[in-house]
Amino acid sequence: MESIARKLSRRSTLKFLGAAGGGLALASWAQGTRSFAEASDGAKPLESFAGPGANPHWNSVGPYVTEPQKAPLILLTDRPVQLETPRYYFRTIFTPNEAFYVRWHLAEIPNSVDLAEWKLRVEGNVNKPMAFSLSDLMQKFKPASVAAVNQCSGNSRSRLQPRVPGGQWGNGAMGNAIWTGVRLRELLDAAGVKSGSAQVQVEGLDTGAGPKGMGSNRFLKSLDLTNAALDGTIVAYLMNGEPLPLLNGFPARLVVPGYFATYWTKSLSWIRVLETPDDNFWMKTAYRIPDTPRGTTTPEDMKTGKVKTIPIERMPVRSFLISPDGSSKIPAGLDVTLRGIAFSGYGKVNKVEISDDGGSTWKAAELGEDRGTYSFRGWQAAWTPKTPGRYSIAVRATDEKGNVQPDEPVWNPGGYLWNKIERQELVAGKAN
Amino acid sequence: MMSKRSKIIFTTVVIAMALAGGLVFAQMRSGSYGSTNSTSIGQGATPVFALDAKYDVGPYPSFVPELAEGDGRQEVQSFCFTCHSTRYITMQPPLPGAIWEAEVNKMMKAYGAPIPEATAKKITAYLQEHYAPENRKEY
Repeated sequence: MESIARKLSRRSTLKFLGAAGGGLALASWAQGTRSFAEASDGAKPLESFAGPGANPHWNSVGPYVTEPQKAPLILLTDRPVQLETPRYYFRTIFTPNEAFYVRWHLAEIPNSVDLAEWKLRVEGNVNKPMAFSLSDLMQKFKPASVAAVNQCSGNSRSRLQPRVPGGQWGNGAMGNAIWTGVRLRELLDAAGVKSGSAQVQVEGLDTGAGPKGMGSNRFLKSLDLTNAALDGTIVAYLMNGEPLPLLNGFPARLVVPGYFATYWTKSLSWIRVLETPDDNFWMKTAYRIPDTPRGTTTPEDMKTGKVKTIPIERMPVRSFLISPDGSSKIPAGLDVTLRGIAFSGYGKVNKVEISDDGGSTWKAAELGEDRGTYSFRGWQAAWTPKTPGRYSIAVRATDEKGNVQPDEPVWNPGGYLWNKIERQELVAGKAN
Repeated sequence: MMSKRSKIIFTTVVIAMALAGGLVFAQMRSGSYGSTNSTSIGQGATPVFALDAKYDVGPYPSFVPELAEGDGRQEVQSFCFTCHSTRYITMQPPLPGAIWEAEVNKMMKAYGAPIPEATAKKITAYLQEHYAPENRKEY
C-alpha cells in the first residue's frame, strides 16, 4: 500500500481525495441518512446496457476498470481497449492524461515499445524516404505546441434515436490536452513530397486478426495534401507536457486540431505519401457521414441507398454543463455557479448561453481564458433557483463562424456528429 | 449442425489458431491481454523518460462478459472473439433483428470474418433471440 501511495503523484492524490471527499460531504448534506435507506430498499442491479431509448446518463453505463497508466475509467470494451472519461474530469480545461478516454480499433495494440528500435517512417511518393527515432523528432525539429480537443466521431452515440450499433459512448469520448511535437509539414518537407502526390496516409502500431487487405487487419487514415488542416497538424510526443500513456498512443500520435479523432493516429509509425486517393476500408466505407446539412438523415432515406456520403472531418460546436451535475439537491434561493466547457472544430467558441426555461430565453455565460482555437473553452454563469422545485438547464455555444448549437437531434447510421443542446435536470430544495 | 467429428476438428483448429496467435503476440509484444487484477486502483508511476528505453505495460486486462445461455453461444464466443471482445455485443442497446443480421453480414463482408454460412445464421439467430428489444435481459 505504502509504495502505491508513494507512486501516486501528490497532485493526483489530492485530486482523488478532493473528488471523493467533496462528493461524500455534498451527499450527506443534501440527502441525509433517509435517502441512503431508501436507496438500499429500492436497490436495483447495475445496468449493463441502456436502451432501446436514448441513454439517459451523461456517461455510458459500463463499469469502472483500471488499465495500465490510467485512472479508473468507464469500460466500453476490453479488446480492443475502449474507455470513457467520467464527467467530473471535465471540471478542468485540460484533461489529465491518466483520465483521457481511449479508443482503439483493432485488438493487437502495442503492449510495449522499444525506443531503441522504434522509428517513425516517412515513405511512399517522396524523394528521400526517412526513418526518425524519437530523439530525432525531439532534437532535430523545433517543438510546436497546440491545445486541442480530441473527440471520437461517435462521442454521444448512445443518444441517437433510433439507436445505432457501435461503441455506446456517453459524452466522455473526448478530452483536451496541450500537444507538443513536430509539425507534420516539416517531416514531409524533410522527405520531399514528389509532385503529383494526392494524400498523406498515416498508420500506427495496431493490427487486427482479420485477413490482409481488410479493415480488420490494418487501420489506415488519409488526408489530402492540400488540406489546410495539415498546416496545424503535429506529430505529438508530449501530452500535457508528459510522454503519452501507451493507450493514448505512446511514443507519438498525430494531432489534427479541429478534426475528429479518427485522424489522430496513435503510436504513429508510418507516414506515407500516396499518388492516388486512399480507398481503404477506413476511408471508403467507415467514418463516413451523409452529405447533408449537419450530416443528418433518416433510416428510411438510408434504405433507399441514395444517400451520398463523405468522410467525416471537422467537429461541430458543442457545450456541456459539468457542475452541478444533478447528483445532489441544490439550495433554493442561493446563487449557484454553473460551470462547463465548450468547443468547436470550425473556430473559436465566442459565446455560451444558458437557459432555465426550456430554451425560450438565453443568458450569456462568462467565458474562461482563451487557450487556443480548438481547445476547450471554460465558461461559468451565476444562476439562482428562486423556489424549490425541478429545473432544466440548457447550454448552447456559438463559434466564430456563426455556427450555433441546434436543438434538433442528429441521426446517421454511424452515430456520428451528435451536437444537440445538452440539458441537465437540477432539483432545488429548501436551504436550512 | 456440425457432426461430432467435425466439431472436434473444428475445436482443434481453433485451439491451434489461438496458440499460434499467442506466439505471434509474444514476439510482437502487442495485443497481449491477461487477467491482471482489475479491481486494483493502484497506479504505476510514470516511467522516467529515456529516449532509448523499452516501455512495457504488460498485458491489458480482460473483462469477459456473461453471454445469454442458449443455442449459438459457443459459436459467438469462438468466432466473434477472434477479432474482438464479446463486450461489443453486451454493450449494445437492444437492437432489432434486422440490425443484428446486418451486423453479422458487415463482420463477414466488410471485415472479412471467415464464418461459414450455416454458423453465421446460427450467430445471427442467437443475437436476435437474446439481444433484441423484445427479449434483452440484464446479464
